[in-house]
Amino acid sequence: MKTVRVWFRKTGAARYISHLDLTHCMARALHRSRIPLWYTQGFNPRAHMVFALPLPLGMAGDRECVDIRIEEERITALEVKERLQRALPATLPVFDVTEPKMKPGKIAWASYRLLLEPEEGDARRLEEQLEALLGQEEIPVEKHTKSGMAHFDLKPYLGELSHRVEGDALLLELMLPAGSEKNISPYLLTEALESQRDARFCCRARRVNLYDLERNVFE
Amino acid sequence: MVPGLEKILLKVQKPGRYVGGELNSVVKDKDGVDVRFAFCFPDIYEVGMSHLGMKILYSLLNRMEGVWCERVFAPWTDMEALMRERGIPLYALESGDPLSEFDIVGFTLQYELSYSNVLNMLELAGIPLLQSERRGLSQLVVAGGPCACNPEPLADFVDLFFIGEGEEVDCELVELYRAHKKKGSSREAFLREAARIPGVYVPSLYEVTYGGDGTIASIRPRDGAPEKVTKRLMLDMDRSFFPESFVVPYLEIVHDRAVAEVFRGCIRGCRFCQAGFLYRPLREKSVDVIDRQCRSLCETTGYDEISLSSLSTSDYSRLNPLLDQLLTWTPGEKTGISLPSLRVDNFSTEVMDKISSVRRSGLTFAPEAGTQRLRDVINKNVTEEELMKTVATAFSGGWSSVKLYFMIGLPTETMDDVAGIAALGQKVVDAFYANPEKKKGRGVSVTLSASGFVPKAFTPFQWEPQDTIEQLHEKQRHLVSSVTTRKITCNYHDADTSFMEAVFARGDRRLGPVLLKAHELGCKFDGWNDYFSLARWRQAFDACGVVPEFYANRRRSFDEILPWDHIDYGVTKDFFRRECEKAYAAATTPNCREKCSACGAACFQGGICHENR
Ligand code: SF4
Repeated sequence: MKTVRVWFRKTGAARYISHLDLTHCMARALHRSRIPLWYTQGFNPRAHMVFALPLPLGMAGDRECVDIRIEEERITALEVKERLQRALPATLPVFDVTEPKMKPGKIAWASYRLLLEPEEGDARRLEEQLEALLGQEEIPVEKHTKSGMAHFDLKPYLGELSHRVEGDALLLELMLPAGSEKNISPYLLTEALESQRDARFCCRARRVNLYDLERNVFE
Repeated sequence: MVPGLEKILLKVQKPGRYVGGELNSVVKDKDGVDVRFAFCFPDIYEVGMSHLGMKILYSLLNRMEGVWCERVFAPWTDMEALMRERGIPLYALESGDPLSEFDIVGFTLQYELSYSNVLNMLELAGIPLLQSERRGLSQLVVAGGPCACNPEPLADFVDLFFIGEGEEVDCELVELYRAHKKKGSSREAFLREAARIPGVYVPSLYEVTYGGDGTIASIRPRDGAPEKVTKRLMLDMDRSFFPESFVVPYLEIVHDRAVAEVFRGCIRGCRFCQAGFLYRPLREKSVDVIDRQCRSLCETTGYDEISLSSLSTSDYSRLNPLLDQLLTWTPGEKTGISLPSLRVDNFSTEVMDKISSVRRSGLTFAPEAGTQRLRDVINKNVTEEELMKTVATAFSGGWSSVKLYFMIGLPTETMDDVAGIAALGQKVVDAFYANPEKKKGRGVSVTLSASGFVPKAFTPFQWEPQDTIEQLHEKQRHLVSSVTTRKITCNYHDADTSFMEAVFARGDRRLGPVLLKAHELGCKFDGWNDYFSLARWRQAFDACGVVPEFYANRRRSFDEILPWDHIDYGVTKDFFRRECEKAYAAATTPNCREKCSACGAACFQGGICHENR
């Protein structure tokens, strides 16, 4: 038995499925792929399946991964990739299967790319609104947690951030804390832009990559 | 993707309902397509996607060259509000194209309370609701499914109905449509031709008149439409089309598993059960065919559960050989088998062991009535002794919770019969404690579920009045007060919805304006408790001067012309009348396997009627 890390993208219609539904979808695909999986013992045998970090609903993912356990002597990584690729819908393409190098617990940062299309005014105006928001002393936000609503200042959590107008839209690239310890959604920033700067736009978000504390790419 | 859709998807619950793109969904090149068919299920995605009939017809139509069938579901109210606000018309999931671009818009009618959704979906699509207001050949609105057996309440809105099973007649109609589209025929010319296809009912070609007492005086066909429209059915189930794959949703749906159909029809003649008569005669598939279909489905979908579906799967004559055959490969694939409907009289330990080998599905039984007398009235040939034997088997097999289904408001029912439901529940509880192998400290839980009886067309009770809402409430209270232990939970269906179901199940064309009015008042999702409002419906009835009690609570005489008398399901009115009279005498009728009762369905020349001869 060994654990392999399956790398895939979440695109198109698949952006709109929740993490829970993604787990069902992946479980069915694994079953359909006939990859010799290692099952937990017991009354209700289950295949081992651990996703590195759930994606928020509506967001695309360029480098998502899930760890599965296979009966290693019976299948190669390349075969896993090909079989799973065939079993998944086209919106969840598998691009690699590797040996896990880091534990998912090591994830500390994620990079995002947000494309904001203004619904009122133009992209320049939107950029000014964003600059004004970032120039605020504090960016108060609230977030649902297990213990209720948490209120905090988003500003100290913002990592590297850049923005530029691209065509009719504003492109925003940023790093945010991610992982099981502190996970900050970029939607907190876009929601603040809407509510605190009265900006109206449609946001297309993708998570580009995951990193550890030292900004090494998660592998 | 649909213009503007992306901007609203993140504002609604479960956006996955509205995006398509699922595994095995069919996308065709529009250039090679000459008939576009929108298959509409008038309920939400999770409900519609669980429906076997839709899966069959979707695959079947998409096998046809030049035909593209796509799926459409009713958007939930949050989505609907945003679509209206942003001017996004109802669209099909595969292409994202609005319904107004389709040739044929087909609805499946699974329950009467979805009719308001049919109207709402047409409106969201921008298609004129009234059949008389639609011009040209495209946007032909068709409907099928069990509720099409009494199509009259929808006659104003639907161009044509499919009566019976759709596998052949749907394709024939699509071919006819294709030919007429090429010729550039008018809608009227097409409909007149369509009415000649057996199993197609075109309501606009029939004239209905009413007498002074409000009952129907006559139903007359015109322009060569047939006197009676006889249902279509698949006689050879082994050769009948069955999909090799299902569309696999991303979302969890109501029945998220592979479904194999083991037979159509039912040998039982439960007198309240419309499906039992609509699908006569019983036609079984062979073990090999079912096995092959199960393998193919599991392979293409990745489901790890197979449900063996039918009206009463434990009546399958080769159930044990089938289970044995499936068990040669399912454990290795970690796949479980479930039987959705179990009858109490032939639930054996043997079968139980086989279905529990991988996963246990819940244990439910449907004695339907609390006393033997009333079970005889409805011809539910199950004795208390059999039920007790079965639950004892189940309890010794480790089960500790049982759900029992009943109806209240059945013809001839008394308060003693209602109390009998609670008494039966108590006996089941006692049976649990009488089990010597019972594990220490384990309690039992028995759920009694009581729904209000709804008399339906094409049953021996089609002439019966439904209990009034007040009577049903009184019986519900009596049931609850008859239960004396906390080990029994009672739940019952809302009597208001049963009433509305009864109105539409036996309604006529005069309900058309009511439906339209109700739609204008905002009625939709009537099958959903939090959405249904009897007050709103009453307002619609009042506005149209129609009295709903006329349809729900009136006893019809045997010689009354019924709104569905020109529709023919093989089983004769005469047989229903005999069965109704036997019901009053609490006399039972044997099942089709024991003895043929000459119901009329032998006219189709197949199935069990002929095996018996
Ligand atoms: S004709 Fe006889 S065997 Fe056939 S369905 Fe009717 S009762 Fe059953």
